[in-house]
Amino acid sequence: MAILASSFINWSALWKIVLAALIGGAGVVIVFGFLLYGVKIANNAKSGAGEWGGYALAGVCGLLCVGAVVAGIVAMTDKPKSKPAKPAKSSLVVPSRTWS
Amino acid sequence: MDLEGCPPGMGSELILILVVVAGFSFDFTNGFHDTANAMATSIATGALKPKVAVVLSACLNFVGAFLSISVAATIAKGIVNPEVLTGGDGLVLVLAALIGAMTWNLITWYFTIPSSSSHALIGGVIGATIVATASSEVNWHNLVQTVIVPAVLSPFIAGGVAALGTYCAYRLIRRLGQREARTGYRYGQIFSASLVSLAHGTNDAQKTMGVISLALIAHGDISATSFSVPFWVKFGCALSIALGTASGGWRIINTMGNRITNVESPQGFAAESSSAAVILASSYYGYPLSTTQVVSGGVLGAGLGKKVDSVHWNVIGQMLTAWIFTMPGAGLLGGAAWAIADIFGAHANAGAIVICALAAAGAFGLWTLAQRNKVTANDLDRTNVSPVEEAELAGVPSAVAAA
Repeated sequence: MAILASSFINWSALWKIVLAALIGGAGVVIVFGFLLYGVKIANNAKSGAGEWGGYALAGVCGLLCVGAVVAGIVAMTDKPKSKPAKPAKSSLVVPSRTWS
Repeated sequence: MDLEGCPPGMGSELILILVVVAGFSFDFTNGFHDTANAMATSIATGALKPKVAVVLSACLNFVGAFLSISVAATIAKGIVNPEVLTGGDGLVLVLAALIGAMTWNLITWYFTIPSSSSHALIGGVIGATIVATASSEVNWHNLVQTVIVPAVLSPFIAGGVAALGTYCAYRLIRRLGQREARTGYRYGQIFSASLVSLAHGTNDAQKTMGVISLALIAHGDISATSFSVPFWVKFGCALSIALGTASGGWRIINTMGNRITNVESPQGFAAESSSAAVILASSYYGYPLSTTQVVSGGVLGAGLGKKVDSVHWNVIGQMLTAWIFTMPGAGLLGGAAWAIADIFGAHANAGAIVICALAAAGAFGLWTLAQRNKVTANDLDRTNVSPVEEAELAGVPSAVAAA
């Protein structure tokens, strides 16, 4: 079953997609949350240091979010042509039809 | 269908014009069918007014269509023998495929179900090809590898990431306070939804560019060897998908934003961010998938990340059923369109005109039926709901919400 699945699933691309999704999806949500938290700290700060600390946290998180958006746009403009998965050499290869 | 005896360049001017019109029409349906992918959650949480949301999405879809053309002409690539599509009968076959896909889009729109326009198009191509060639020109292994498997995996990936993002967001909200968090995440939603719109334009408009370009190859207007998408095709597809998006598919926006789960702004942000990340990463690594299925998975995951009970499983069941039947359904419609056209002869203008007339009549019938239970932009407007009221609607006590 696993051997058959490997002829259909491009595991190499899949783990990269999952990793990128975790960073760009869940990661951005968390970082954005800390951005809001930084703003809250700055607004509620009773000292100048606290205020600057809050803004610093918000600024760093904001830059990370902007970086994620830029990475997304770069991925859009720089995407390679789609290609089917390459089956592993050891796997059961279902013969792929070639067009004559 | 005898491929050997039908060299390229045999199709008539009229059929080519019908294919181009059908291509632009399909892009229009794709636009209003998929507006929900990007903007449903932003509208549901009141981050944007419905009309503002769809106009913003339309502009970004238009821009996105010009960002990259690397996926153009890849629709059904490796699944259907390209000689079938660029051969002498290719024009009518492409027309039948577009009609099948467009009609399926309209049927699912009528039933308010988000389904994949890309899968509908692939289904239409396969159905028309099977009826025309008795399936010998379809590569089933590549179909499973490049369409079915990503279709099954992508909603789980987006859903899992969105669930994790939502869970973390609500943990943070305890430190932030409801008001700041919900207001802040509403702003975040505008950016994440915009990114999904841009990605949608990049992916989906180009699929139709590819289809129209195939028709131009079949007609002998552009060369298959030195392939490039003409500017008027790019502009026409970009404009069609943008106009479709701007027209607002309120029925599907309602399903995606309100009926899967009661989306709140942190959930909407998590769903859209996760979806954007999955769509862009998979596109970058050459793993084709459906924007609709990814975003639906993201919204479901965002619901699960907050509370399992908040997900309306009957709606999920309807969506899954529609997804399973999208390719066979569009395939049947595409195959039927080809069969009807073939009655008049594969190269006859009459057949192409008849299937276009039938498709137009069907579209008008569905539109008329949809007017009976119409969903409008005003029905979906939540911008007058404050963050505190949003929290109360979601079951959070007002004292906590105001904290």
